[in-house]
Amino acid sequence: MNRRDFLKRSSLVTAAGMLASHGVSLAKAQTDQTYYMVAFLSGIDYWKDCARGMMDAAEFLGVEAVYTGTPEYDITAEVRVLEETIAQEPDGILLTVINPEALQPTIDSAIDSGLPIVTFDADSPLSKRYSFLGTGNYAAGVMGARYIGPLLSAGDQAAVITVPSQGNLLERTQGFLNTLATEYPDIITGDSFIVDNQNSAEGAAMGLSALLQVETNIKGVFSTNALAAIGAAQALRENGLSDSVAHIGFDYDEGTLDLIDSGELGATLAQGTWQMGFWGLMFAYMVRNEMIESVSDWQAAGISPLPPYVDTGVVVINQSNSQYWRSAE
Amino acid sequence: MEGTTPISTLPAKNMLHPQPGFIARLLRVREFALIVMILVIGGGLHLITGRFFTTPNLNAISLGFATSAIIVFGMTAALVSGGFDLSVGSVFAMGGVTAALALRADIPIPLAMLCGVGAGVAAGIVNGFLITQVQINPFITTLGMLGIARGVSLAVTEGSPLAELPTEFFVFGQGRDILGIPNLILIALAVILIGDILMRRSSAFRQIYYVGGNEEAARLSGINVNRVKFGVYILSASLAAFAGVLSVSRFTVADPGTGVGEELRIIAACIIGGCSLRGGKGTVIGGLLGLIFVGFINNGMILLRVPVYWQQLSMGVVLLLAVGFDTLSQRWQISSRGKKAGPATS
Repeated sequence: MNRRDFLKRSSLVTAAGMLASHGVSLAKAQTDQTYYMVAFLSGIDYWKDCARGMMDAAEFLGVEAVYTGTPEYDITAEVRVLEETIAQEPDGILLTVINPEALQPTIDSAIDSGLPIVTFDADSPLSKRYSFLGTGNYAAGVMGARYIGPLLSAGDQAAVITVPSQGNLLERTQGFLNTLATEYPDIITGDSFIVDNQNSAEGAAMGLSALLQVETNIKGVFSTNALAAIGAAQALRENGLSDSVAHIGFDYDEGTLDLIDSGELGATLAQGTWQMGFWGLMFAYMVRNEMIESVSDWQAAGISPLPPYVDTGVVVINQSNSQYWRSAE
Repeated sequence: MEGTTPISTLPAKNMLHPQPGFIARLLRVREFALIVMILVIGGGLHLITGRFFTTPNLNAISLGFATSAIIVFGMTAALVSGGFDLSVGSVFAMGGVTAALALRADIPIPLAMLCGVGAGVAAGIVNGFLITQVQINPFITTLGMLGIARGVSLAVTEGSPLAELPTEFFVFGQGRDILGIPNLILIALAVILIGDILMRRSSAFRQIYYVGGNEEAARLSGINVNRVKFGVYILSASLAAFAGVLSVSRFTVADPGTGVGEELRIIAACIIGGCSLRGGKGTVIGGLLGLIFVGFINNGMILLRVPVYWQQLSMGVVLLLAVGFDTLSQRWQISSRGKKAGPATS
């Protein structure tokens, strides 16, 4: 059994156990129910595992699940798609939020009308959403620092390849830099070691190559997204530094897994994307079917019956376990 | 004899309208000011950092814009013809994805690369047909193709980057077969040089200038305007797809999301290099110089350790200053030439 199957099966067992435990009533499968997952940049690889988790939960519960969204990175487009989805009168929505304020009115009005909405990956914390499942990005950056830190010596330098305008990546960067500063103070890093990869592998390669010309003692690189990792690995290769610089990435795809297996990328941090989709649907289903009795009447009490925030965590993929992330679909 | 001017005292024709010297002619070349600015920036950066004109740094900069340089040829042709091509970034991704799919289907490398370029040719044919036959505005047509090409890439890959490609394919993007110079840079230079020579010397390519300069006059002089425009959009899309194939060879993975915003970067470089959005004006070398200029500033930001949060702002300001200075100096040259020549009726 590979790791994905193990995670999937153990989650199903846990889910069944949870449903049967105190405070949760196990209802008959609602085969006529439909749940939607709404995403921005809906065509990207990243959401695939989220959707797969949702589909697995839907199969387990005997409900229908639909993946939809907008292919653009456009606030207006996501609000429109969300409103159109709500008009379909679904039984619940899993939503990843392009902008917390812009989507709040639509989320709140849907919740007020009785439609359960659970956010995942990117949150609207001030909205009335029932719960948010996502990666603690700052904690993920901390994990990156604790991977790189022990591999470097005093006086070595560490660079970060990221997109500074993207909030979640900035949190990872801050977690990484702050942890290095406090736990490995002899490693030289800081804002002046940040490279903007402009959301492209080309940008990462060009930026890191330039930095390597002026900072000749860079021994560690933290790439905060998959494209940055591919570009940074290429820059290290072109500068003949693949073997002497420790490099950790974030997220994974076939390209990053290839880099790990070839030794050009030491490791990557994988988010619990399947968990977001699986548990997100379980949460929405339980609210929709009134299966939770955390208090005698949570609606009258004006509280959410679900945990407001669930950190789905990150795991380290390296050469020893990369095979389990390859084409598990 | 009084009142008569001796013939010997009449100014010679070339004294009334003296032929400009070498320096004066050089100053009139549109690209000259850009070359000077590039050298000043490069020299300044080298003086300050001591690391600008080093082989690794120049390699890094050149590799950074090598694929863009290939697209510049096609975009220059499109701009000179009086249109532009907004779909190059998406076609760039589609070309790479198509080649990767072909490689994964065990199609021989040259044929797989041709498949990638073929995807671009197909996009160019659609663009050219809609612009010339259906008479849809190039902006709308290529904007539509921007969506279609990106959509095709996402649909056939289901959003997943394609890796596990044959290592022999990487020689184009990663090899250094001649004097240690990256093959990618040599390919880009070859495309640029061929493109510039064709645009300056070839009568077929010169027709693009006539069409862009005055479409009606070009038509009346017997130029098949539609055929010229059709060819321009095929050229632009096929070069974008070719660049996408080479990018896959460099990064070993075909990402359907790559190339976003590439069209604006290329158009900006061409405009900086002297292309006019109104058509009829511009050179391929100028576009390359525009790319080099932007590449130098990008590189300089990092070498000068400008904080990453300030780099976009600094880049925008420097670009506007450079283009503003260049535009004003061009205007000054034209007006000073006008003053020297005197009134047209004299």
